[in-house]
Amino acid sequence: MKRILSSLLCGCMIMGLMAGCGQTTASSTADNTEAKESGNDTVKNEDTTEIKIWHDGDEAIMGTIESDLNETLKADNITVSFEKKSGLTDQLQLYGNDAANGPDMYFYAHDSLGMLAEMGILAPISDVTDVDALDTDLNDMTVEATTYKETQYMIPVYFETLLFLYNKDLWEGEVPTTTDELYDYMTAHTDTDAGTYAVVNQHSTAYNVAPVINGFGGYIIDKDGNPGLNAVETKEAISYNQKFAELQADGDYNTVSTLFNEGNAAAIVGGPWLVSSINDAGINLGIKSLSEFTLPNGEALAPYSGVQGVGVMKYAAESKKDAVEKVLKAIAGEEVGVDLAVNNNCAPANEKAYENTEVTSNEMVQAIRKTADTAEPMPNIPQMSVMWGPTEEFLAAVNKSDADIDSAAEEYEQAAETAISDMQ
Amino acid sequence: MKKKKRAVPWLYSAPALILIGIVVVFPIIYTAYISFTNMNLYHWNDFHFIGLENYKRALLKADSGFLSAIGVTIIWTVVNMVVQLVLAYFIALGLNAKGLKLKRVYKTLLMFPWAMPAYVSILLWKVCMYNTEFGLLNQLVTALGGSKMNYLAENVPAFFACTILNLWMALPFMIMMIDGALQSVDGSYYESATLDGAGVWQKTWYITLPCIRPIIAPSAIMTTFTTFKQFDIVYLLTKQKGSLSGASIQTIITYAHQNAFVSNNYGLSSAVSILIFVIIIVFSVFTNRGLKEE
Repeated sequence: MKRILSSLLCGCMIMGLMAGCGQTTASSTADNTEAKESGNDTVKNEDTTEIKIWHDGDEAIMGTIESDLNETLKADNITVSFEKKSGLTDQLQLYGNDAANGPDMYFYAHDSLGMLAEMGILAPISDVTDVDALDTDLNDMTVEATTYKETQYMIPVYFETLLFLYNKDLWEGEVPTTTDELYDYMTAHTDTDAGTYAVVNQHSTAYNVAPVINGFGGYIIDKDGNPGLNAVETKEAISYNQKFAELQADGDYNTVSTLFNEGNAAAIVGGPWLVSSINDAGINLGIKSLSEFTLPNGEALAPYSGVQGVGVMKYAAESKKDAVEKVLKAIAGEEVGVDLAVNNNCAPANEKAYENTEVTSNEMVQAIRKTADTAEPMPNIPQMSVMWGPTEEFLAAVNKSDADIDSAAEEYEQAAETAISDMQ
Repeated sequence: MKKKKRAVPWLYSAPALILIGIVVVFPIIYTAYISFTNMNLYHWNDFHFIGLENYKRALLKADSGFLSAIGVTIIWTVVNMVVQLVLAYFIALGLNAKGLKLKRVYKTLLMFPWAMPAYVSILLWKVCMYNTEFGLLNQLVTALGGSKMNYLAENVPAFFACTILNLWMALPFMIMMIDGALQSVDGSYYESATLDGAGVWQKTWYITLPCIRPIIAPSAIMTTFTTFKQFDIVYLLTKQKGSLSGASIQTIITYAHQNAFVSNNYGLSSAVSILIFVIIIVFSVFTNRGLKEE
């Protein structure tokens, strides 16, 4: 009896172990899936096409897009579901060729586009729809950002840039229009020992220093994949940024956002993703576009712009072409843009959305849109993925360890070149 | 009949062996296979066999950075192990002192750092201790009239900051081991030594240490092993993406991570992994031999 029981338990254990190895066909998943529509669970009929989109973003923003798409595509029997996946690019590397377990589309920032395109897992948008017709209403900068090697692989939906966010109750007088005046204000209103700051910024994070680097005419990496950490203009920019860094706490994300939210800093350089916590902290928020600040060379600050958009997996472009085309048309539309701006303070890529009065009156959206005038899309070439490390080590060495700029620039330029050659 | 008898243990072990094969052995074999190919971003689907090319590149990366990383790793391991063993010994002695009240409470409290997930402990220390604005250390410094310091910006202070945290996390295990070992020493040895006129140091040197050595040796060797391949503390305190501290200390694991694993070159990364795997295997062969001798 004992032997039978132990054999039975052993068998159960092995079956349990192997259960996860079973394959599930896409059709059977679709047949058994229940879609949430208008708050009620309804069993889908056989003609329904499900489009699965993976993302790694804000759930509220994805919720807005998902509900708009499902409403628009209801008549076409298309259901769109957004699934959050942490470390999305890693997940796409694993499942990007797996039609059974991978997504049909993905929603992410444009800077990893080159990497995914080189892997050969993305379909050009022109394989699915008339891309020129779709781009008519889209902001040029966002279209440029989603184009890699002259092929458009994503449809831009909204974009983000850094902004100058300030506490109206703490800021004294008008916000300056030049960075030199801003520095003077910071010198007069910062007491590092007391822990009170005029402006805080992630001064050793490449994304946050990019406005100065780009404004000085420097670059982190050029379009051909050559790093520019030791370019004269880049070094000038980093030297200029260094004096600001001395008055901006340690530059860590958590530190600077807490300082601002607790009223120990009058302003912060940050993106729209900070706004919900700022509002929760009850801060009387003022917003100014970074492109309204002029550098000593007469140029405006030119932050990087991160464009969030949707890309199509190759297998989905073949097997679900019609449904994917409809999703792309809907997601690029004015309605999604307006809802994103009104509900989530996102700056839509669709230019027509800005004609809406609610969007026009949204201070944050307008500030981001204004910044787009001087913003540069983050490089989307694959080499950019290995540039963040050497660039930030360079910045940290200069701002936190007082390293000599020239020698540090040479050291990290070399590190960047090695990192790029290691990719091949 | 004999054959059947031989097969039975294999049969019983088969499920576990299959599981170990899938979870442990297969990934190693597959990594070794990838290390001989040019699988990278530009050859994602069309990678092919390139022989020992990746190993050649990985070994050529043994530049000055790699050598200094080995040096730092050895210093890191030695400093941590020496301090850990000495401190743990004296704390365990204190816990075994006659007449000490609330022993169990102290022992339970001492276990907390060990029981906490490493990731949480490290980030807690980073924010609550070392942070320039909110950290306890700078709160004390400013309260005493000093200026704020960044403990993680320069290499030497950052090394000590990492060491202190590692000690905080690793000491409970060593204390527990030494505490157990001390309790296993027969009290009659000390009584007869006292009658023979032995002092505290003589008792420690000739009775305590020889008696506890066989129990402590395996744990000391295991801890040396984990200290040598420590990654989390150095990485999260000084090299976390988006909040680099400015210090450039590298252990061989953080060096390998930085140089091989951010490149999306899976062939090269696999070759580096296999080389590290070989180093660790050689290291564990020596440690196992040490354990057998004990």
